[in-house]
Amino acid sequence: MTEGCERTAPDRSWVGVAALVVLAVVGAAVLPTLSSARPANEVPVGDVGANATDPTAESWTAVPSVELALASAPSGLPEASNVSVREAQVRTATNGSHVFVRVSWPDATADRNASGLREFADAVAVQLPENESARPPIAMGGTSNRVNVWYWSGTGTTEELLAGGAGTTTSFERSAVDAQAVHEDGEWHVAFTREAEMAGNRTDLSGEQDVDVAVAVWNGSYDERAGRKSVSEWKYLAMGPGPQGPPYETILWTVAGLAILFATVVTIEGVRRTRGEAA
Amino acid sequence: MSTDDAQSEDTHIDIADGVDHQVAMVMDLNKCIGCQTCTVACKTLWTEGGGRDYMYWNNVETKPGDGYPKDWEDSGGGWQSDEHSEREPGEIPAKERYGGDWEFNHSEIMYDGSDEPLRPQNVDPEWGPNWDEDEGAGEYPNSYYFYLPRICNHCTHPSCVEACPRQALYKREEDGIVLVDQERCRGYRYCVEGCPYKKVYYNAAKKKSEKCIFCYPRIEGEGPDDEVHATACAEECPPQLRLVGYLDDEDGPIYKLVEEYEVALPLHPEFETVPNVYYIPPYAPPQHSEDGESIQGVDRIPREYLEELFGDRVNQALDTIERHRDRTRRGEDSELMEILQDKNPAQQYRLEVFDDD
Ligand code: SF4
Ligand code: SF4
Repeated sequence: MTEGCERTAPDRSWVGVAALVVLAVVGAAVLPTLSSARPANEVPVGDVGANATDPTAESWTAVPSVELALASAPSGLPEASNVSVREAQVRTATNGSHVFVRVSWPDATADRNASGLREFADAVAVQLPENESARPPIAMGGTSNRVNVWYWSGTGTTEELLAGGAGTTTSFERSAVDAQAVHEDGEWHVAFTREAEMAGNRTDLSGEQDVDVAVAVWNGSYDERAGRKSVSEWKYLAMGPGPQGPPYETILWTVAGLAILFATVVTIEGVRRTRGEAA
Repeated sequence: MSTDDAQSEDTHIDIADGVDHQVAMVMDLNKCIGCQTCTVACKTLWTEGGGRDYMYWNNVETKPGDGYPKDWEDSGGGWQSDEHSEREPGEIPAKERYGGDWEFNHSEIMYDGSDEPLRPQNVDPEWGPNWDEDEGAGEYPNSYYFYLPRICNHCTHPSCVEACPRQALYKREEDGIVLVDQERCRGYRYCVEGCPYKKVYYNAAKKKSEKCIFCYPRIEGEGPDDEVHATACAEECPPQLRLVGYLDDEDGPIYKLVEEYEVALPLHPEFETVPNVYYIPPYAPPQHSEDGESIQGVDRIPREYLEELFGDRVNQALDTIERHRDRTRRGEDSELMEILQDKNPAQQYRLEVFDDD
């Protein structure tokens, strides 16, 4: 095809074509990953196989992790602004039937007891809106806009709570949430498990829509309990079928990548032909 | 009004908002023999075992002394002022400050004929409640001590209630008794910090806070005999030094002692919780000289110490009592002395006066 053509020009044009093709291919491969430089408040929901009830399960390594900045919760309690945990890692996954939320945070001591008069246990809570489509006030929800709280304490208890404002938490008679925890290398990893689809006072997590989520952490040996805690802002679990959902994303970027590649090849070919004709 | 010391014009009853009547107790410290019958009555009734071993809803401590829990008077809590807007930060006392339970060699001595002295086994205790029992203060022959029985004061401005972020503690509408709602309590212990008298206790077995309930089932007549009873600590007391009733029962002795004669005073009024347990301050004999003569005008129990406990009003209260003692010595009548000497037992426990409300 190139034989007999002008010496220098075809050479240059082929280097150019090769470079552009490489760029296009790399671009198609890289751009989808760039897209997971997610919206700041998004907590992606990974896909795990059978289950991820165990916070150390291998399946968690494939789930993207989000770092949440934590700050003291506004509260009238003594020493409320004196808290010790500054960040937590959150991973969320589903296997279709169940949703798993794993929270990890640094804490040098595993405080598992509240059996001394001055002893408090470490704890973590995941807060979700009772009504998935309305964002409740961050501090334990409001009277007409309540929150579901999944609460795990170092004493080994897991509770499912309903709250409509600070100081109003009430336990569900029977918890639909389970939790497993490990303390490893100065870090807690607590994995909550709940059935995805639920109705009534419980947040539905069946993937119909994105769902707000916030996290709180207590360091027992720092006397943290009740409103003296480290909390995140509202984030959202990207579970809905929105444009940012995983299937759409992949399809869109594949199409876009192929389109870029096609356009590049056509352009180059056009340029080459034009030059060839000119030569 | 039988005497000029009763100041009915000035009296007002400070009852908490939203409370119909306020239970109250007056304890005459001049009569306490430190027998701890009240402590045992309370303990056997309400706090035996189940995470309650260390709790004494009623305790009797020696004053001057560290009290129970040790140094509770310095543990913070209460309010910063009588506006009741800012609380004073407080602390949760360490377990050791409530004392330990030591094993004694009772059975060796009683049954096995051991001639060892009775003493705690395998421990070398350094402190316990009533460790300073009868130690007192002052120099012989003018040393002194007295007993101070303490229960929750069922305060008009209870800082324990205010300290709880869950409103688990509340002041009962019908009679102002302060209770912990066991359903709402989540064991955060802000009430323990918040009470300056350290009269809320954490039950580590139940993970909830507990406190004196002013024997409400007894005063409601909910016991096995369906009869109204005063609190167990009061009824079991051998010298019967406690009056139990309502502060706003204007015909009762409590109202007279607290509001009219002003001789019954709250402990540590500077904590600003406005207690509803009141004390007739101890009235000790004067000091003696080396050769046993009374030194008139020099108090055996320094007024400064009593002021520390009961505030400045203790001076006026003791002066009033003094005046009435003189009056009876002269053969005159004194309603105050009659109340303090319990000449009308029917008045001691007036718990059914508001039953028709
Ligand atoms: S004495 Fe303490 S526990 Fe009792 S009502 Fe007052 S503040 Fe509350
Ligand atoms: S029972 Fe009465 S005399 Fe005995 S310690 Fe108690 S208050 Fe004092």
